[in-house]
Amino acid sequence: MTAAQEIGAGGRARWRRADADKVKISTIGWLLPAAALLIGLFLVPVGYAVYLGFTNIELLGPLAQDYSFTGLANVSRMAHDPVFWSSVKLTLIFVVGSGIVAQTVLGLALALLGQRAHVMVRASVGSIVVLAWVLPEICVAFIWYSFSQAGGMLGELIGRTSSDFLSTAPLLIVCLANAWRGTAFSMLVLSAGLRNVPQEADEAAQLEGASYWTRLFRVTLPIIRPTLMINMLLITLGTISDFTLVFAMTQGGPGNETAILPVYMYIEAFQFNALGYGTTIALALMIIGAILSIVYIRQLRPELRRGR
Amino acid sequence: MTVAPHRDEPPGEAAARPGAGGGAAPRGTAFPAAARRLRTKVLPAIIGNLAMTIIGVIFLLPLAWLILAAFNPHASPGVVTPRFSLANFTQALQSGASGAIMNSLYLAGVSTVIATVVSTLAGYVLSRHYVPLKGAALVVIIFLTGLPVTLLLIPIYQIFVSIGWLDSPFYTSLVLAATSVPFAIWLLKNFIDQVPREFEEAAAIEGSGQFRVLLTVVVPLIMPGVLVSAILTFINSWGAFLIPLVLDANPSDTPGAVGIYQFMSANGQVQFGPLAAYGILFSLPVIILYLISSRWLSGGFSFAGGIKG
Amino acid sequence: MATITLEGVSKAFKGKPAVDGVDLSIDDGQFLIIVGPSGCGKTTTLRMLAGFERPTSGVVRIGGRVMNDVPPKDRDLAMVFQNYALFPHMTVAKNLAFGMRVRRVDRKVIDREVASIASMLGIEALLGRKPAELSGGERQRVALGRALLRKPKAFLLDEPLSNLDAALRAQMRFELKRIHAQFPVTTVYVTHDQVEAMTMADRIALMEGGRLQQVAAPEVLYSEPANTFVAGFVGSPKINLIPGQVVRDARRPTIRSMSCDIPVDGTAGAVLASLPHDNVVIGLRPEELRPRRPATGGLPAVRGVIELIEPLGSETHVALRVGGHVLTCKCPPRAGLEVGSEISVEFDPEHMKVFDGDTGMRLG
Repeated sequence: MTAAQEIGAGGRARWRRADADKVKISTIGWLLPAAALLIGLFLVPVGYAVYLGFTNIELLGPLAQDYSFTGLANVSRMAHDPVFWSSVKLTLIFVVGSGIVAQTVLGLALALLGQRAHVMVRASVGSIVVLAWVLPEICVAFIWYSFSQAGGMLGELIGRTSSDFLSTAPLLIVCLANAWRGTAFSMLVLSAGLRNVPQEADEAAQLEGASYWTRLFRVTLPIIRPTLMINMLLITLGTISDFTLVFAMTQGGPGNETAILPVYMYIEAFQFNALGYGTTIALALMIIGAILSIVYIRQLRPELRRGR
Repeated sequence: MTVAPHRDEPPGEAAARPGAGGGAAPRGTAFPAAARRLRTKVLPAIIGNLAMTIIGVIFLLPLAWLILAAFNPHASPGVVTPRFSLANFTQALQSGASGAIMNSLYLAGVSTVIATVVSTLAGYVLSRHYVPLKGAALVVIIFLTGLPVTLLLIPIYQIFVSIGWLDSPFYTSLVLAATSVPFAIWLLKNFIDQVPREFEEAAAIEGSGQFRVLLTVVVPLIMPGVLVSAILTFINSWGAFLIPLVLDANPSDTPGAVGIYQFMSANGQVQFGPLAAYGILFSLPVIILYLISSRWLSGGFSFAGGIKG
Repeated sequence: MATITLEGVSKAFKGKPAVDGVDLSIDDGQFLIIVGPSGCGKTTTLRMLAGFERPTSGVVRIGGRVMNDVPPKDRDLAMVFQNYALFPHMTVAKNLAFGMRVRRVDRKVIDREVASIASMLGIEALLGRKPAELSGGERQRVALGRALLRKPKAFLLDEPLSNLDAALRAQMRFELKRIHAQFPVTTVYVTHDQVEAMTMADRIALMEGGRLQQVAAPEVLYSEPANTFVAGFVGSPKINLIPGQVVRDARRPTIRSMSCDIPVDGTAGAVLASLPHDNVVIGLRPEELRPRRPATGGLPAVRGVIELIEPLGSETHVALRVGGHVLTCKCPPRAGLEVGSEISVEFDPEHMKVFDGDTGMRLG
């Protein structure tokens, strides 16, 4: 009966404390593996990166062990490094050109065309585009590497067999390859968004006599604007840290012409030994990504607020 | 009926009527309607299908080259004449494709099992249990989904150097698992949020312990989510290039993605045919997985059977 | 089989009390129905019995044992959920067998038990189907079967009939009662439907605002409601509750209501004299109001205008405007009444309920 007395005596005064749920043993036990992975392989490395970015650590040699904190030395090196700044520029061109513009426009076009196209056309074109997306990135790199060779199919198609497009227009080819690979994602996301547009909105505009293009730009696109923005945010985050495609096609060359930031980081850290400087570049990459994310989220804020 | 062809009629009927000799609709009114149909319905449909087909053909060209090159022993980067020979596949397998694909299978398999199990447990707790600072933890997890893996690589490399975890397929797959865990937790938590609690309560009152409830009731109910999460992790780990490239330099551990890269940059002439075959061999598993999973991705799932109202 | 007791049980969500100091004891084998409007705390009470909610204060006992910290799985109860909660990924047979499989019962025993419960509930043909392929009534039977197979200390049922249509509900009411007669296990049944409560319960616990209003057998609840809320909740059409005044200077205890002096006898009359104020509410059940043909004499009567006539076939409900009040009367069919006509209705003061006008509690 002690339990009864103890609980019974609590009464109203103990409501608040008893009301707060207890942390169960299973709560801790079941969270532990995930927490260990995320802390050990995400949070600690991120913290460690912030430290390493301000050291002179190297991959090999004496500075691999006896490295030291060098303050802002890496930052000032970066500020005066023309390759870094060109790399930032290349990254932005790569992200904006191949990611945001090409993938979104093509994906949106395919999503819109798919709405009205014959089911056979939609299904077959859709699966071709999705297939390009499902292929491992390294295969995409190889396909476009071959495609743009001297004597490659691209040259044959546009009648300039002898040119090696990876030397003459490397950034363009890399962008095309990335657009080819990534369009499916936008197409899938935006098709889903378009399916959620209430048909009455479009029909109401039709009754008002609006043309297809007016309806598209005045009704449909504004309605799927949040989907568009989230799609662009995801594309940006995916493209900005892309490494495999570009590195496998060009290794950043020729002459750093395609050395986007992740590739430049890898070159500095693992080919030129400068682990510390490489980390600084990676941190810069993260900051650029964070800034772009904030821009998107600010753009989305009115929608998010209204959605609530 | 003396009604003139209406705009909503199918094109065949509208076109057939003036000539059909019914005589009810005078030609003068029928033709403008038909012309209007042509302008507002038929023409845009033709243009739309055509435009989509053209985009599809452009997208198809690189894929077509890959397939043709893989089956032609004399493949060049240019237009390849269709032939059917498995010589390229034999050569690709002889140059280590099979071993590399087995290595990829190990990395992807182990990381998928780890990530899925770990994320299901965590997703369940985050959906159902009281967790202090749950909101903050979820924000951190969403933030981690967007974090570039490239940033983690150097510190993880350094950590692995100091604790001797380099050149180990298992620890490499652990890193691959970790990169998928934030998204997987987020996805699975959302799936579990959709499951009405009554199912768990019904199981609990029948005498099930927590783990059994999770295993026999919750997991089957969110199976589409578990599969989607597992398949995305698998595809991600299968194509992983930079992480195994840096963390495991042991040649016998080389996964397919690194294998293709090394094959591409091997000395001398690039062997386009065998590489294309290698690429197809390496792509097939994920293509098949995608085909399987797309059914669940679009199929949807309903609790309508057990819970009503 | 077990008795269940709740001792001062309260539950607050974020500081707001949902259940407030409930004392209740349920005898072994009793069929108790907790009834009340939505949000009255009845489901929370049931969930505390099941162990899904932990009381913020008070003690829950099942079979004499304090259950506050015992998880649901160890309470040895069976529950039927409002939405049945049949596992959608399992067949009917697997759903029925679930609890026994958890308890590692021998396969042969499971098969035998499932078969026998299925034949008892008439669902043998459904054993291979999944819940999605069943109708509402069939799902209901499977959920019942799953609970029965548990052979629990007590059954908990949370609005089990609310998703069924009216005809099926009437049939299931009958069947639940029959099953309880066959397996007299302590049963706690939650519903918002007073008809279910009145027809099925051994005892009814009526809740409102997180508190128990009255716990009694159905007849008692009807004839001796503890307060105006209970009186108004039980009975259809609703009881007429009309304010009145105590007439202090009369020879015998008298209430004046609707310009009519009503003598009050018995205990209510005795209490009336000691009432510190004059405000009372009288409760007149519609069936106790009878149109007065020729003057019966002796019985109090009021005159009013017929506003509405609802013929139900076996009886006719009449809304009668008397002064500022509308009385509902249950009249015999074909009484020859007309809207707009004026009639008198009489009633026997002996059946009249008298409530304290300030507290709502019944006097007497």
